[in-house]
Amino acid sequence: MATYYLKAPLSQQDVEQLRIGDVVYITGDVFTCRSRLHRWVLDEGHPLPEAGKERDVLIHVGPIVLPQPEGQYKLISFMPTSSIRFEKWGARAVDEWGLRMIVGKTTMGEQTMEMMKRKKCVHVSPQCVSPNAWVDSIHIDDVELFDELGTIEATWHMTVDKLGPFVVDIDCEGNNLYKNHEQEVNECRDKALAQLGIGPDFAYTKLY
Amino acid sequence: MIPREVYEQTIFQAIRKGSTTIAPDVCAAFERAIEAESRPAAREGLSKTYDSIRQSAVRDNPACPDTGWPIFYFKVGNQCELEGGFMGLEEATRSAVRRATREGYLRATMKHPLTGYDPGDNVGSNVPDFTYQFVPGSDLEVTYVAKGGGSECFGGTRHRVVAFADGVKGIEKFVVDSFVEATRSGGICPPNVLGIGIGGTANIAANLAKEAACLRTVGSHNPDGEFRKIEEDLYTALNSLGVGIMGIGGDTSVLGVNVEYAYTHIAGICVAISSNCMVARRGSLRICADGTVQEMSSPNWFEGR
Repeated sequence: MATYYLKAPLSQQDVEQLRIGDVVYITGDVFTCRSRLHRWVLDEGHPLPEAGKERDVLIHVGPIVLPQPEGQYKLISFMPTSSIRFEKWGARAVDEWGLRMIVGKTTMGEQTMEMMKRKKCVHVSPQCVSPNAWVDSIHIDDVELFDELGTIEATWHMTVDKLGPFVVDIDCEGNNLYKNHEQEVNECRDKALAQLGIGPDFAYTKLY
Repeated sequence: MIPREVYEQTIFQAIRKGSTTIAPDVCAAFERAIEAESRPAAREGLSKTYDSIRQSAVRDNPACPDTGWPIFYFKVGNQCELEGGFMGLEEATRSAVRRATREGYLRATMKHPLTGYDPGDNVGSNVPDFTYQFVPGSDLEVTYVAKGGGSECFGGTRHRVVAFADGVKGIEKFVVDSFVEATRSGGICPPNVLGIGIGGTANIAANLAKEAACLRTVGSHNPDGEFRKIEEDLYTALNSLGVGIMGIGGDTSVLGVNVEYAYTHIAGICVAISSNCMVARRGSLRICADGTVQEMSSPNWFEGR
């Protein structure tokens, strides 16, 4: 497992070298997106915000931002949100928006992983909840769709400086870090149930 | 008579306290987890999270941006008198939620369930939520809970009905299997405070589970031996799963397991679980009849636990 300091926008080579378990820090221009932007663009046919056309690192996040006088914005708190909830839109987002990296909590599902493998894109996730460390690494440049979608669903343009650490949980080869860990937990679960006196033959009485 | 200005300001302070600071029992659980953790990555994740939590108290900002559902618990003295009455209390709470959102203590998270429309102030149909408990005396105890979306939406909060014949084994199997499913890829932000409600109708069990997760102090025990045994057995079982912080693998998967129960129809025993995020957030304050306000380190919802 290696540590990489990457500059966005990313090259195909930047992401192809990454393997699950590697740690990344990102510097450069990124943009944000949540449920309503996915629906806005991919279901309702509105154009992708300008930020998405120029940037290839997407962060699934709903930050707390307070508008300041003279059009400035103050970032109060930042923690990536769960990516798996966007699975229905994931493959199209990777394909149509030309993404190289998605930052989000949890992971993505099979269809998005397949598209990531084809298009060379990775998913990275935080392994702690440390909004205060991240707020200090982020500058907000601009926002799109603030009035239409609200503060946390709008697209924020951010410049980030060594934002991380994030761990690669999906690489371009179709590997998933959490899927590997799942097997270990399943084995522990069987032992834990046995210690509680619940054997593999236990069956619930069918009430419905 | 407690003036409206006093209780509205106190409710705002409970929100601010709950959003920006973490209670001593949760901090102690973090310190125990960091000390006990044998895997370096998990230990680092726990330490970074705990550092950020402590910084939020100094920076006066939310310990996690997902402040989730604004939920309020009021423990009301039977002789408690409020200017404007209890409708005034609920109106003042909505007003305090709006102010806390405007000032950045709450994220504008609450939206219309079908359209996604964002009122921008966390106030809408049936939100914020209110629960009352009536007790002797004339004080009003206010508890605000930030119920995060991770621990609520990704499988850590659910219920099923177990036959009486299936007994404690059926109850415990449901809890273990549900927890394993919910922690795949860290969706519910483990290590969690897990609340379990046993008995009652589905909504009674679900409310007990939520209160056990969000209002009981971490490390407390149910005084009834049979329920305490379930707490202890599940605490050991869940912490042997190796889920760890954010599901990356580690020695601590739950910070605590709290069980509460209700008498029930034994045709089917409803079991509900409710997970609270590791950044477990609540803020409690007491307003005395003379209008003075006192700090509370725990909601004291379940008589000393």
